[in-house]
Amino acid sequence: MAGAQVRRSGSSAAAALRHFSLPALVVLLLVSATLAITFGPAEISPGEAWGVILHHLGLRPESPVSRLRDAIVWELRLPRAVAAMGVGAGLALAGTVMQALTRNPLADPYLLGLSSGAALGAVGFLLAGAALLMPLGAFLGSLAALALALLVAQLLGGATPSRAILTGICIAALASAATSFLIFWTATGDSYREILSWLMGSLGGAVWSDAGLVAASLVLCAPVILAAGRALDAFAFGDAAAASLGVEVTRLRWTLLTATALLTGVMVAVGGAIGFVGLVVPHAVRLAVGTRHRRLLPHAMLVGAIFMLWTDTAARSLFDPRELPVGIITALIGAPVFLFILLRYRRIT
Amino acid sequence: MRIPSFLAAAIVVALSAGGAAAADYPLRLDNCGFEIVLDKPPERVVAIKSTATELLLSLGLSERIAGIAFQDGPLPPDLAAAGAGLAVLSDRLPSQEVVLEVEPDFVYGGWESNFSGEGAGERPTLAALGVASYVAPAACRSVKPPELTFERLFAEMAEMGAIFDVEAAAAALIENQRRLLAGVAPDERGLTALWYSSGTRTPYVGAGSNAPAMILEALGLANIFGAVDEGWISASWEAVVDADPDVIVLVDAAWNSAEQKKTLLAKNPITSQLEAVIEQRYLVIPFPASEAGVRNVPAVVDMARQLAGLDFPE
Repeated sequence: MAGAQVRRSGSSAAAALRHFSLPALVVLLLVSATLAITFGPAEISPGEAWGVILHHLGLRPESPVSRLRDAIVWELRLPRAVAAMGVGAGLALAGTVMQALTRNPLADPYLLGLSSGAALGAVGFLLAGAALLMPLGAFLGSLAALALALLVAQLLGGATPSRAILTGICIAALASAATSFLIFWTATGDSYREILSWLMGSLGGAVWSDAGLVAASLVLCAPVILAAGRALDAFAFGDAAAASLGVEVTRLRWTLLTATALLTGVMVAVGGAIGFVGLVVPHAVRLAVGTRHRRLLPHAMLVGAIFMLWTDTAARSLFDPRELPVGIITALIGAPVFLFILLRYRRIT
Repeated sequence: MRIPSFLAAAIVVALSAGGAAAADYPLRLDNCGFEIVLDKPPERVVAIKSTATELLLSLGLSERIAGIAFQDGPLPPDLAAAGAGLAVLSDRLPSQEVVLEVEPDFVYGGWESNFSGEGAGERPTLAALGVASYVAPAACRSVKPPELTFERLFAEMAEMGAIFDVEAAAAALIENQRRLLAGVAPDERGLTALWYSSGTRTPYVGAGSNAPAMILEALGLANIFGAVDEGWISASWEAVVDADPDVIVLVDAAWNSAEQKKTLLAKNPITSQLEAVIEQRYLVIPFPASEAGVRNVPAVVDMARQLAGLDFPE
């Protein structure tokens, strides 16, 4: 009787954690956003920042600060924070899906070359004078990189994780070289700094249209991916097993891969090739919530958003008044985690 | 036994006491942490970057220029005739082979990074081939140069005069620059300025220790990034908006013109709210004049005229 009681209360605590972890992350995300927009070269308190937001939402007649400080919050920090959260969420989702579909713990849009392909597509369209179609270029670039990766895997007779990574290194090197070449030969002067922001990834200068683009791609792709949680679990046992569980393997795989390429393309069009987010976040979240995708996917999305928000906040405020490409920070965090994952999965790689 | 360079110089001075104005060879110089020894004035020079070419032309040395490379823009009108027939080795950074092909005895680089394996060649490599190399002192990175002043800029001109044994021309050039500069009265309205060099998402701006700082100071403008001890930095738009500069200096480069910058500033949702942008309070400087060189002083004169034409309420 007493034992049963204990067990029930124990399991209800676990159940509470299960039920409240998502709302808790949402709250953490909102708190993070509130705090993040108070960081920066200009001194603005959380109260003032919220006053500005309420003013622009029509809930407050007057802005609490001067016109320029109002613009710093509403035109600079907020769209950049929204873009950062969206990019983090998108890259984390893309990484999680790729790891499941390819049954490769090392899969990540950056390591498999998709981000570099997207950067090449974006820069190519940009330099061809089609700046408005740049996200399309990034999508086509990431799709081409993905197709190339899958083709090479086919030629190799099935991709082991290490083969996939080697292929990714090759694609990334090719695409990065082509991107650098394009910028060097079409632009002049000190344009190498622009190359850096594409190859290293930076959210500097993100405006509302960027944030809107990121949000739109998430609205389009996230429901498709989140709804496929159960099917992604089935993929873990192989295509045949998934098919026997009633999953339309081919159709779903292509749908999800396209969604991944689209997400990666848009994220790169806005922020350049920001690395390792799609690798670090899913692994960290798996340690906490397990490997079931119905739980893993939404958690990864929220954690990705929080992670990216804070790394970008660090990138723009640590060296005030200077800016650092955020990809440097994600790589500093991500590369050691990559090593850790390599060691942890050494038997299968 | 190695004779200290000052002693060697003293001996040479003693030996050549006859030629008063002439430079003393062998000439030993410390240039950006690298020792240069010249037995005679260079005769075949490769000039990399506009600042290098323009100083040589200003000293009347066009005959000795074997080739120019990586020019940032057209020559100013007063030098255009002298520089008209110069052989252009490369529009961008020339490779070592392209430089060596014209058999130079002296390579003058506007940036230290011009002397790299992918560029004109490493300085020790060139020295081993008997080719002297010279980095514009303000662009030195191996040894952090002191904050640039007009006096230090004039010292580079004098040094170039000594290297080529044209001290009289150097003295005349410096004299002329001093006179021009003395004619500029710094603005006394207590205005602040942003030096916007390039970049779109992340603005690349003039900071506290190089040509931008020197020029702004001569104009009587307080640089909003003047506290940062660097020549130029990647800053953020937020820091710019937070400082709300009274005037914006636009560097007019072929690849990123002043007009493009004006459009960008007016379209960007945040910079478009700056008073300086709304009122179009801009000062324009051609890119080649924005790096340490003979065009800094004329640029100050020109910008002072532009600045005087701007109206500020109150």
